[in-house]
Amino acid sequence: MKPLNRKLLRELFRAKGMLAAIISIIAAGVLFFVGMASLYYNLETSRRLYYSKCRMADFTVTVKKMPVVELEQLHEIKGVSEFRPRILFPVTVDLPGVERPVSGQILSLPEEPAPIINNIVIRKGSYFTDSLSSEIILNDTFATERDLEPGDQIELILNERKEVFHIVGTALSSEYVYVVGGGGIVPDPANFGIFYIKESLAEDLFNYQEAANQVVGILEEPSRKQPDDVLDRIERKLEPYGVSAVTPLEDQSSHFFLSSEIENLKTVVIILPGIFLTVAAIILNILMLRLVEQQRTIVGTLKAIGYTNREILIHYLKFGGTIGLCGGALGSTLGYLFAEVMTKHVYSKFFAFPKLVNQPYPGVLLTGVVISLLFSLLGSMRGVTKVMALSPAEAMRPKPPVRGRRIWLEKWTGLWKSLTLQTQFSLRGISRNRMRSLAGIFAASMGTMLLMVVLLMYDSMEEMMDFQFTKILVNDFEIGFKDPRGYGAFLETKRMPGVDYAEPMLHIACTLQHEHREKKVTVTGLIPGSRLTIPVNTEGDREPLPTVGLLLSKRLAEILDVGVGDQIWFEPTDREEELKKVPVAGIINSYLGLSAYADIDYLNRIVDYEDAVNSIQLKTVRDPTVEAEFLRQLKNTPVVQSVSSARHDRQLLEETMTGQLMISLSITIVFAGMIFFGSVLNSSLISLSEREQEIATLHVLGYTTREIARMFLQESLILNLVGLLVGLPLGIGLGWLMCVSMGTDLFRIPFVIKPGSILITIVVGTGFTLLAHVPLKRSIDRMDWVSALNVKE
Amino acid sequence: MSDKTIISIQNVSKTFVMGDVKVPVLHSVNLEIHEGDFVVIVGPSGSGKSTLLNLIGGLDRPTSGEIWFDSPDQKISGFSDSELTAYRREHVGFVFQFYNLVPTLTATENVQVASELSHEGMPPEEALNLVGLEHRVEHFPSQMSGGEQQRVAIARAIAKNPRVLLCDEPTGALDLSTGRSILGVLHRLNQELGKTVILITHNSAIAEMGTLCVHIGSGTIASKESNPHPVSPEEISW
Repeated sequence: MKPLNRKLLRELFRAKGMLAAIISIIAAGVLFFVGMASLYYNLETSRRLYYSKCRMADFTVTVKKMPVVELEQLHEIKGVSEFRPRILFPVTVDLPGVERPVSGQILSLPEEPAPIINNIVIRKGSYFTDSLSSEIILNDTFATERDLEPGDQIELILNERKEVFHIVGTALSSEYVYVVGGGGIVPDPANFGIFYIKESLAEDLFNYQEAANQVVGILEEPSRKQPDDVLDRIERKLEPYGVSAVTPLEDQSSHFFLSSEIENLKTVVIILPGIFLTVAAIILNILMLRLVEQQRTIVGTLKAIGYTNREILIHYLKFGGTIGLCGGALGSTLGYLFAEVMTKHVYSKFFAFPKLVNQPYPGVLLTGVVISLLFSLLGSMRGVTKVMALSPAEAMRPKPPVRGRRIWLEKWTGLWKSLTLQTQFSLRGISRNRMRSLAGIFAASMGTMLLMVVLLMYDSMEEMMDFQFTKILVNDFEIGFKDPRGYGAFLETKRMPGVDYAEPMLHIACTLQHEHREKKVTVTGLIPGSRLTIPVNTEGDREPLPTVGLLLSKRLAEILDVGVGDQIWFEPTDREEELKKVPVAGIINSYLGLSAYADIDYLNRIVDYEDAVNSIQLKTVRDPTVEAEFLRQLKNTPVVQSVSSARHDRQLLEETMTGQLMISLSITIVFAGMIFFGSVLNSSLISLSEREQEIATLHVLGYTTREIARMFLQESLILNLVGLLVGLPLGIGLGWLMCVSMGTDLFRIPFVIKPGSILITIVVGTGFTLLAHVPLKRSIDRMDWVSALNVKE
Repeated sequence: MSDKTIISIQNVSKTFVMGDVKVPVLHSVNLEIHEGDFVVIVGPSGSGKSTLLNLIGGLDRPTSGEIWFDSPDQKISGFSDSELTAYRREHVGFVFQFYNLVPTLTATENVQVASELSHEGMPPEEALNLVGLEHRVEHFPSQMSGGEQQRVAIARAIAKNPRVLLCDEPTGALDLSTGRSILGVLHRLNQELGKTVILITHNSAIAEMGTLCVHIGSGTIASKESNPHPVSPEEISW
């Protein structure tokens, strides 16, 4: 080995503590890059393969009922490549041993397997056979959760009667990668089933002979990217059959959640590694500057001996390069493992793929190493080029002593004099090496920003859940009927055992229109003073139900561009009613979905119903046996088409979201801690080595090591404080940006700042700074005072 | 010693600019050095002797005047940075007052740093043998005495097989007997290998061992004396 390489290795080994800190920060950056990029490719590839395998539809149109022959008209629309009619209905499932009726959807499939749009992938058992007409295929996640196998029987309540089906197989489909039932946002595979039955059976069960209520289709290539025009034309064609929803792929619920996750990964893959690698490059920059300065004479000597600038440059760049390679290799390996574990244990829980791709991507791994190398070389550059500029004769002379100068604070003589000598020492230390102090502040502010953002997201999610489930939706159960029923249905339900309190509701699917803007939503009719669904205004107070007009959620009002007092057109989707003009009576706050509320009597009037009810929300008696009896009766009430529970949704959301956020919070604390720890340790160790002589003199004068260490600690804490002050608003700003940009029609994230989170950020940041002081104190204790005093000049 | 001029310094001046202040260090210096000379340049500190040595070694450029190497072949005062580097690489060996060894390399490795630069370089072990350090080859600088470290530095300087050895106060940090032994090594390299040695010192006693003694003061050459009978290092004392 060349002697200079040997020198390099020995020096790297000598600085191992400091280098470990930098390498871990680099590795963290690369870990995030490789991890997130691999996850991105895993999900992206899985999605692409799966969608093409199942021939995922580009659009879905839901109508009330239409003859299949009429669909032929769709061929006339340019841009529509292919389509398939099907029958889709909500069902409830009566599972033995399960108290609560479970919700689901039933879909029709051709009798024989064919490469249809939105096809299924059989996981267990087989496709339909000819032996029985009542054959059913279940979605695999539900079957697994509920322990159902081919050969078992299952009872579904549909079209107001109970039917027994024979399970022939379990399957997955690309339209249900992320299965959310009802209005939830987290998957609940145990409580939401997808059931496939033969077309002929579906026609019989729902009286849909030669008819369908949903069309799924594929668009021709140019229309795929801009489907709006084609979908408008489809909607106009199908208008007579009561179009209740036209859903392009991008709004399809499963696709939406999957794509959001993929998009999020894309953002994170740039931001997080960017922060870590920049911090590492800056720390490395400082370290290299110091190293090269310490080796001025060596550089001069090498030049005198005849080494070229290039050779010396390369020698010192190798220093940074080795660090970059180590960090890159470590980060890439950990990043790959991270992606593997995440894919296997987290994503596979949320996303149901027949095969979730989980593999290393050589390109990504290599890029991880290359960017790490690049940042490290960039970080080393400044220190190295600085010495390159010196003539060899100049480089060989020791660096002239630092010139003492007054700092700006000293202008206020009174204030300056009131400070202790130790504080003055710390402040001078900070102002003496401004570049290093700025780097310390930068690192601390980045660490603070990271912590703050994650804590803010945690607070915001908590606020969202809290708001939605303690302020707006507080029912224990909501039961839905297939068709509107009279007030008697409500009274009957109210009398059921275990019902403590109940309120009638009327949900009307409709199109709201204002000028050229329109949106398909469901308006919910409530009784005045309702206690189980409470419209809340933007100030957080209950918004009284108007006797005339609608209450619209803020997001919906924005989409329609309306304010209080504006008139909008109201058109029920599944009934042939003429358009009615209704006023906007108030704007309310809502984080889940696009809500609209009205007085139930008012809503009845505008759709020409009389005392109609199609849903009932209720509170049950807090007694498990009584509640069980209520649920048992509910299961035997065939008119019930759906059962949901805000209480259950909240629990599920809390468990899922809180769990996820706790994991990411812990990870963030560790990584932000690395930034604080690494940067403080590095800068104070360098500062210590620079000021050895000065410190040795103080020691000889009678200062204890503890007093000397305190000066350094004070310096670190001042920088840390400034970093916190810079990082807090940055984190709050970034958090706000994330809350705003993540908001969609499906859910919005409120922006909340809780003082507790600011406090946690400050405590964690300061804690890691104090922790970094431990090795520094040890270095001071171990310092060779005598030789430090005899530094040659 | 031969009649062939190896270094010719013609009318060389050097002025350092520090901020707004100009500090003249050398003024119209003329000097001819022959191949095989043992030149001792004596002067008090601040007289400009180190600057002169740096100019000869190609570590710095004169403000005016010319310096020729192996004259009149190469005008080193007009060299570019890379030409100066090549010149130092091939023709010059440096010995410094504070040795300037790389602390993280052993004696052998420190010599190897220089020997591998030159095609005509000698194996590090041979160079260390020449300075009598064959028994300390695996030691790090911190494990050696000052005299030993300076021997490593000399071994490093000759390992490239340069024609000129430039020594900047090589005994400045050493006691008398160690200093003498270092001078002995340099003397031997001059006598046995025919290396041209240019040594600067503030110690006028050393001047007696040179074949040419140059006294320098306030940036000019005060006197030049050829010494047909140089004394051996053992006879010098200070």
